[in-house]
Amino acid sequence: MNMSEDSNNNTTHFGFKTVNEAEKQQKVGEVFHSVAQKYDVMNDVMSAGMHRVWKRFAVDISGVKTGDKVLDIAGGSGDLSKLFSKKVGTNGSVVLTDINASMLAVGRDRMIDAGLNLPAAQCNAEQLPFADNSFDCVIVAFGLRNMTHKDIALREMQRVLRVGGRLLVLEFSKIWQPFEKLYDAYSFKLLPLMGKLIAKDATSYEYLAESIRMHPDQETLKQMMLDAGLGRVDYYNLSAGVVALHKGYKL
Amino acid sequence: MLKPLATRFLQHITNQNNWSREHLIDFAGKVVQFEIAFIKTNLVILEDGGLAIAAHTTSPEASIHVPPSLALRILSGDEAAKTQVKVEGNVHFATELSKVLQLMRWDVEEDLSHIIGDIAANKTVTGSKKVFAEAKKQTVNMAEMLAEFWQEEKPILAKKRHVVQFNTEVDTLRGDVARLEKRLEKLAKTHQESNSK
Repeated sequence: MNMSEDSNNNTTHFGFKTVNEAEKQQKVGEVFHSVAQKYDVMNDVMSAGMHRVWKRFAVDISGVKTGDKVLDIAGGSGDLSKLFSKKVGTNGSVVLTDINASMLAVGRDRMIDAGLNLPAAQCNAEQLPFADNSFDCVIVAFGLRNMTHKDIALREMQRVLRVGGRLLVLEFSKIWQPFEKLYDAYSFKLLPLMGKLIAKDATSYEYLAESIRMHPDQETLKQMMLDAGLGRVDYYNLSAGVVALHKGYKL
Repeated sequence: MLKPLATRFLQHITNQNNWSREHLIDFAGKVVQFEIAFIKTNLVILEDGGLAIAAHTTSPEASIHVPPSLALRILSGDEAAKTQVKVEGNVHFATELSKVLQLMRWDVEEDLSHIIGDIAANKTVTGSKKVFAEAKKQTVNMAEMLAEFWQEEKPILAKKRHVVQFNTEVDTLRGDVARLEKRLEKLAKTHQESNSK
């Protein structure tokens, strides 16, 4: 069980605040409804374009080949689905999903604009509407930390993977210790300011910084993936640990 | 930043050498450690037969060790040096991977042609190859000249035949000493036996 959640009292964390479990989903939903239209611009500004490099790396590491089936969970604006669709070709398939209708709409429209006819489904990662052993690769990028029950979501992702398939989790993580203070200053001072100036929403970006700090570190997430039934779990630290890419197999 | 860039480059090279995938796909998930000169890195074979930098926590199934001196010999085209590369662990996997890597080529001309056009790319690559070949030839000439100077004019390097002769003499001496030891032992034993009588 994730330490940040307490199922006995049915409370969980929303950034640094403790809220009821039912409330978290709604609050996360409000955050993403609010930022959906400026999501890409903000990602580029906040990470100085690095989010594209991290996502590209995740796709490179996935080992996905022509004809594979890929599930993009919390796919938001569809960056990964777009990259994966080139890899799987016309014989394969990529399913774009997100719990948030606003984000999914942005992603679906972008796919159409790019000439890609990918299925897009609004669904909760804790209750995936797919059969067991359906996908060769499941990916969740910058989405796991917003999920109320990360352990349930990871088990669901493991369930829909076929044997030999892999789960990739790209998520903010624990930065290398010497950079911590600088990173804190950036996250808690500069990030909300950028959110205020660009997306006209400082609160959502305060939540972003807080939720990153509350997210499990590299080793804890690795253990959570092992507990969810995945095997041979490894991770890559990217940009000194600002982001980590975990990869695990269904054995 | 280095990992994504290195992996991107490896993927690019694998895409240019698509034939390599079918040779490597059977080793999917396996990790090899390369220690070439001063560079140490772990590579993993992906599920599509591609190559990537391995994750932090993976332990390699095989290792390929090439010391700096050997790396220089391989670069200068010394075929005998390739047989001296140290391979440990899963030797079959490491050997197959080495073979594939030796045959893989980076088609620089193709990549350059997207930026500067076909003709300019061809001229640049052909010119660079000529410059590189000439530089290599001159370097080898210079090395041979220096070796000759230090062997003949101002001897600080031993000639190969002198080293071989020296080794042979050392072997002969070792054999002679061993025989002498045995003889002395035998004499001592005989002496001891005659005294006891």
